[in-house]
Amino acid sequence: MSSTATVSGQATTGPPHRRRPAAAVRRVPRIVWLFLLIPLAVELAWVFWPAINSFSLSFTRWSGVGAAENVGLDNYRNLLDDPIFRTAAKNTVIWTIGFGGLSVLIGLALAVALNRPRRGVGIYRSAIYLPMVFSLVVTGLFWRVLYQPDGAVNSTLEAIGLDGVSRQWLADPDTALYAVLVAAVWRQVGYIMVLYLAGLKGVDPSLEEAAAVDGATAWQRFRHVVFPQLRGVNTVVFAVTVIDSLRTFDIVWAMTRGGPYDSSQLLSTYMFQQGFTLVNLGYGSAIAVVIFLLAIGFIITYLVRATRED
Amino acid sequence: MSTSRISRRGFLAGSAALGVTGVLSGCVGGGSSDDDGGTADTSSTEAPSDASGPVVLQSSLSDPDPKAALESVLNGYTEGDVTLNTVAIENYRAQLPTYLSSSEPPDVLTWYAGSVARDYASKGLLLDLSELWEGDGACAGFSDALRSLSSADDGTQIFVPTNYYWWGIFYRKSAFDEWGVEPAETWDDFLALCEDLQQQGVTPLSMGTGSTPWVASGWFDYLNMRVNGPEFHRALLAGEHSFDSAEVRAVLDEYAKIVPFIDPNGRSYSWQDAVTPLVQKEAAMYLIGAFITQTVPEEDVDDIDFFRVPIIDASLPVGEEAPTDGYFAAANSTRPEGAKALLSYLAQPDSQQQFIEESGSSNLPTSPDVDTSGFSPLVQKGIQHLEETDEITQFFNRDSSDELQTTADTALTRFLDNPDDVEQILADWQSAAERVFEG
Repeated sequence: MSSTATVSGQATTGPPHRRRPAAAVRRVPRIVWLFLLIPLAVELAWVFWPAINSFSLSFTRWSGVGAAENVGLDNYRNLLDDPIFRTAAKNTVIWTIGFGGLSVLIGLALAVALNRPRRGVGIYRSAIYLPMVFSLVVTGLFWRVLYQPDGAVNSTLEAIGLDGVSRQWLADPDTALYAVLVAAVWRQVGYIMVLYLAGLKGVDPSLEEAAAVDGATAWQRFRHVVFPQLRGVNTVVFAVTVIDSLRTFDIVWAMTRGGPYDSSQLLSTYMFQQGFTLVNLGYGSAIAVVIFLLAIGFIITYLVRATRED
Repeated sequence: MSTSRISRRGFLAGSAALGVTGVLSGCVGGGSSDDDGGTADTSSTEAPSDASGPVVLQSSLSDPDPKAALESVLNGYTEGDVTLNTVAIENYRAQLPTYLSSSEPPDVLTWYAGSVARDYASKGLLLDLSELWEGDGACAGFSDALRSLSSADDGTQIFVPTNYYWWGIFYRKSAFDEWGVEPAETWDDFLALCEDLQQQGVTPLSMGTGSTPWVASGWFDYLNMRVNGPEFHRALLAGEHSFDSAEVRAVLDEYAKIVPFIDPNGRSYSWQDAVTPLVQKEAAMYLIGAFITQTVPEEDVDDIDFFRVPIIDASLPVGEEAPTDGYFAAANSTRPEGAKALLSYLAQPDSQQQFIEESGSSNLPTSPDVDTSGFSPLVQKGIQHLEETDEITQFFNRDSSDELQTTADTALTRFLDNPDDVEQILADWQSAAERVFEG
């Protein structure tokens, strides 16, 4: 008797397969909804709403006073004719390649060199990582002192007999952008190195030893044994580097403000100058939209490639 | 339980609807601009209860000394309460249009006289202050030059100037004695003086155009006034003449003559950095505003003197830069009477004198009633310098716009690097200027 009662009881108290997803949603406690909705509302109001606004701003001419005047695609047409915009776009490409390429190459090389435990390696690692603790603005001010006409860079060059090379690095339109680039890479390599050091910890040393026994050279071991195992870290490094290089603004602004005569202008600094120094909100927004499209383009292409490989 | 049954689809639809209506209605000054659009209508129906509150003074004087001086001047104001908001200059510049066009703006704001103020007035954002300039108003006794500088295009006064400063070629008296040279009065003498100094191994001219490229416009303004006259200079900055013209080319021809005498390291310096070679007697002269005394070490200030930028064409009226600072009031102010009372107080001789003395600048008072006998000999000379002047200008950006200033910065720093490339530089400058004037 008792056994049948148990059976029938089981039958009536809802078998598991009747729980539809809707029921699961219904069971989410109210407080959780609250925790989800408040951040969503904040995100919508403070991130998405201004972002959408800047799209619609880019079709207007507005100085912050009175009504915005609708000008259609004029801002974008003007961008194409604007020599400073072209310089800024070209510089952004140079920057992304130079900053990304150099910091990854040097960072990886340092990580490989400092991966093996030996005396004092910790000191080297922390010394190389140290610049990362400074803000970009501080880095910029520091390097500006080094680049002064009678600063450390020029006096070092003169001391080793390279007088002809010394110049006013930040005031020379041929070198300004690259001088800033060096400062930015100097700060970034430590960060990339740490990421790769972490990745190298996950590399199986027995594979490398086996390759060495088979007669592989050091380069072959790195290229065909170690590097393929770093794929996960590469993804992170690539994303970090692209995002960091497209959003670069502070170090250029602190060191050259885009000068001399706009030769070190990046899209981000030009956007800031137009939007906030000159209060051409429409034109500045148009530049911001271009930066956004570039970043999204980069990231989507990369994600598509990455998922296809997986 | 039933109230918390928010289906995911319903929620998304709801939030999307919220977003979309927002996009359609509230975007960018499109729909919402009707209520902040600029009309000079000062009748405030919005917050009558607020009209008795303290007058709000928005200030860009964020350097410690001027800020403290303004605070102490305001402490002496007895006719009502004042709330002082001080904002760093860079932010202030960007936010100023927003301040003026908001429905409850600050009542009184610090800023510059001239075309900048006139621009806001033409948009109906500034309070008509003509009554201060009439009868026994606080500004009634100010000079005619200041009156026209403070007037809008329609002839009403919209600005209260409280102090101004002069520009000149500054040098160290003791250094000139050591080198056995004298200030020059004519352009040829000046070039000979530069030549002489260079022979002695001294850099004749210091100029910091690195992070402050606008300094290069000082020489441009002066040479344009000396070669083409102040009238042409103003018209040029108003867009009535082309930069790619014979007149401007003539200016750069003169400019090119002094380029070899300018400290090449100045390209990496800010205007403040470029004061150091002058103080250390490595460079001899510096064309800059009277604010230079703030950066000179205290013990050397008495050794600083200046002379007028030499005359090139004696038939032209003599123009000098005398940038004027002061206050205007927002048209939307809810307390226009309180604003005018505060402005009258700030324009009083006593207030002007107190502000100038406590802020440690070499600025000059705008009121003729200020007792200047206690001011330093340098300031006395500055007052006389401007009194002997036929016409007053404000400086490149104040006579035009910050945006035109960036075109000048680009053109002139390029010119300093490549003085031979004048044709291309002027053509590019003109096309950049056209974009500014069309925008």
